[in-house]
Amino acid sequence: MTLYLLKRLGSAIPILIGVSIVVFITIKIIPGDPVASLLGPTSSPQARAELTARLGLDQPLPIQYLSWGAHLFQGDLGDSIAKHVPVLSLVLDAFGNTLVLATFAAVVAFVLGILLGGVSALRRGRVSAAISNAISLFSISVPQYSIGLLLIIYLATGAGLFPTAGMYDPINGGGWGDLFLHLVLPGVTAALVPAGIIARMFRSCVIDVMSMDFIDAMRSRGLSELRILKHAFHNTLPTLMTIAGLQLGYLLGGVIFVETVFSWPGLGLLVYQSITQRDLPVIQAGVIVSALAFVVINVVVDVLQAAIDPRVRA
Amino acid sequence: MTAIALPAVRTKRRRSRRLPVSARIAAGVIGLVVVAVLLAPVLAPHNPTQGQLGERLAGIGTAGHLLGTDGQGRDILSRLLYGGRLSLLSGLIPVLVAAVIGTLLGLLAGLGNRFTNGAVMRTLDVFYAFPAVLLAIAIAAALGSGASNAIVALSVILIPPIARIAETETARLRGADFMEAARASGARTSSIAIRQVLPNIAPAIVVYCTALIGLCIVYSAGLSYLGLGIAPPAPEWGVMISDLQQYTFTKPELLLMPALAILVASVAFNVLGDGLGSYFNVRQEVR
Amino acid sequence: MSQTVQEIPARVASAEALRVDDLAVSFAVHGGQVHAVRSVSFHVRAGQTLVLLGESGSGKSVTARAIMRLHGRRAKVTGRVELSGREVLALSDPDVRALRGSRIALVPQDPTAALDPLRRVGAQITEVLLLHRAAPDKKAAQARTRELLRAVGIPDPERAYRSFPHEMSGGMRQRVVIAMGISCDPDVIIADEPTTALDVTVQAQILDLFAELQGRLNTALLMVTHDVHVAADVADLVAVMYAGRIVETGPAADVLKTPRHPYTQALLDALPTPQTARGELHAIAGSPPVAGQEFPGCAFADRCTHALDTCRTAEPRLVEVAPGRRAACPVLNPTEAP
Repeated sequence: MTLYLLKRLGSAIPILIGVSIVVFITIKIIPGDPVASLLGPTSSPQARAELTARLGLDQPLPIQYLSWGAHLFQGDLGDSIAKHVPVLSLVLDAFGNTLVLATFAAVVAFVLGILLGGVSALRRGRVSAAISNAISLFSISVPQYSIGLLLIIYLATGAGLFPTAGMYDPINGGGWGDLFLHLVLPGVTAALVPAGIIARMFRSCVIDVMSMDFIDAMRSRGLSELRILKHAFHNTLPTLMTIAGLQLGYLLGGVIFVETVFSWPGLGLLVYQSITQRDLPVIQAGVIVSALAFVVINVVVDVLQAAIDPRVRA
Repeated sequence: MTAIALPAVRTKRRRSRRLPVSARIAAGVIGLVVVAVLLAPVLAPHNPTQGQLGERLAGIGTAGHLLGTDGQGRDILSRLLYGGRLSLLSGLIPVLVAAVIGTLLGLLAGLGNRFTNGAVMRTLDVFYAFPAVLLAIAIAAALGSGASNAIVALSVILIPPIARIAETETARLRGADFMEAARASGARTSSIAIRQVLPNIAPAIVVYCTALIGLCIVYSAGLSYLGLGIAPPAPEWGVMISDLQQYTFTKPELLLMPALAILVASVAFNVLGDGLGSYFNVRQEVR
Repeated sequence: MSQTVQEIPARVASAEALRVDDLAVSFAVHGGQVHAVRSVSFHVRAGQTLVLLGESGSGKSVTARAIMRLHGRRAKVTGRVELSGREVLALSDPDVRALRGSRIALVPQDPTAALDPLRRVGAQITEVLLLHRAAPDKKAAQARTRELLRAVGIPDPERAYRSFPHEMSGGMRQRVVIAMGISCDPDVIIADEPTTALDVTVQAQILDLFAELQGRLNTALLMVTHDVHVAADVADLVAVMYAGRIVETGPAADVLKTPRHPYTQALLDALPTPQTARGELHAIAGSPPVAGQEFPGCAFADRCTHALDTCRTAEPRLVEVAPGRRAACPVLNPTEAP
């Protein structure tokens, strides 16, 4: 198990290096001369050459990458152009908020998805399964930005049940209760698509497991259907882990629409605002941090999977 | 094989002969939408980009403006019809581009030697590490707004999953008898890829891509909504949502129109994808 | 092992462990019923081995599963199945569950697929013991599990107990499944092609194990196989099935030596023996019927070298052709004109 963990951690390193290369290349292919934009259009050619040399931009690309990568490794992602503060602290704060929203949404999506998928798999051919299928189909097709707006209209302003925006009430806010109230609408909105995906994947996984020979063999040994379901669920767990990881990763990067609609101070909103301000260092850092989180989630998922399934450990 | 499972197995293995009813309905809906947006110049009652400020924010059912008007007095039905052209195209083109590139990469990895396979698949792993939506937004942001940049961004994020499916399906065929036979007869890899592998992996890719079109319509409208795709005043469903958003509290039903258009198109493609999946007997796998 | 029933008088006297009368199984498929098994009757006594012999699709596994009521709601099962005096088809679901694994056990075809891949082998056997209260507590069940693993000839029971199924060989897994089968000391064991998934060398060991365990436990064994050699090896009685019916039945030694049905004959002719000269193997002409295929007359008529015109119109009945032997072929077994 420890060996497996080490191996899995080791295999994440080349991916992280790859991620950094992709981000670096993306910076390089962005149209426009960074030096010119830093110094302004009226700057002298001499000043530009000086700055180019100072920033190391006259070096060959691999050298530039290495020096950029070294900064990256030390957590130095540069300063925000718009806000003049280190990008990293900005991004990490926002990422924390996104993590809260994404985790909440993931829990909602998981409960919903397992219920829908389970009903659909175990009640095949009945009305309840058809309804579950229809719900999951709609929920994966939903455009989050418009559903979010509709929830605001009817549940926030209309019924006055939940706040429309933000993470805490600015006047007498704070505390867990306030956070929860603010979480409900964006959380549910963000959970819709992953809930549908989880439902559909879980459905096919349950159908697969239930059609395996050992289920029937357990029946022949006299096990009750309830107990058989318990063992069947155990056998869906490795797949469920994979789905969970994929969807949590998706949520970490995918709540941008929801954050924009609900003004949730997360990474998505930060990136969105940085887009309008063309604050590229922030966008860059946002992408790197969420990719890092995604890789970490994948390692965790694989380790959990190995803990459940002995065949993976081998 | 003993006889126990015979009745079930025989029906399961056989490709179901007919497309499910739901998928036919979905195909019909898609057909209707396509015809409607193609006939937009004929069907649209008004100019989609020029409004009359005197008639702004007319409600649904207003005479002359069946689905109402937006904040600049533009007819929403006309904008939906014209906007559907851009919305559907920007849902379709990235999937087509990604399908071609992704299939090629998948074939290359699936039929290549260990080195080629490793190089392609590990590169894809790197792209997998980026959250798709955020990556699309970052690419679109870096390239600047505009329809073509949004299409490039969406194509990039759709390539890895398609390539992975193509690779899995190709690898599954590698040991098949007809492949051995083709190889033994001295066929070139490229000809094996086109004649033997492509027809066999095509169903899985077509099924997946059909559902992706639905997703891509939602994403591309989302990019426009964020101001990264098609720029106003061009009519486009995502742009329309963004335009109408400020009237959320006064005229929410107007906002519902483009949202419903996106939902209907997206559901239709997803249902069609499901139906094709059961028609071709393609398994849904965790990806 | 190929003894006739007559040679073991002690067992003849013993009670019927399993009696099947006029069993019929049909499945609902879109647009109708498929009759998989029809008018099947046989009985097995404690200590006896009955082999259901037939090609795939002949209905032998359907019969085996119907006895344990393992077919779902899609199946319609009629007739009588008596297990140690209880009428299985009339029992409630919980009562049937209580019988399964305790009074009647199934050793499945593919031991690899029959074990839960995520749980240790020992835990899976212990579960059955506790479920049927064959052990007073967990500790006793664990001890009994180790005993069982030893009893089925697993060299290192302690290690096997802690192993996951994928860590064992096919032969070992089959032994585990057999251990599970005998764990509650059942009256009847049904073994469905128990050696098909195994290497030839392991097959013989598993068959020997069955013989040894049966001798020790005095269990009735119903073995389903398509392999004539297996039948010759283990069977006291044999019932040959074709297209969902028993076409011939009787003591194994007699049936396999002097078959009284053309299908049994054909099966034996298709078998290579050390004496078979080159080119003398006879494959059965034509192809076996698909499960549920309907025939107006004898199902085997189209492939039969003895067939008369009447065979295709009148369905032959299973009639006694010698003491303890029955066959469903009027051509090979002409009765005196009535």
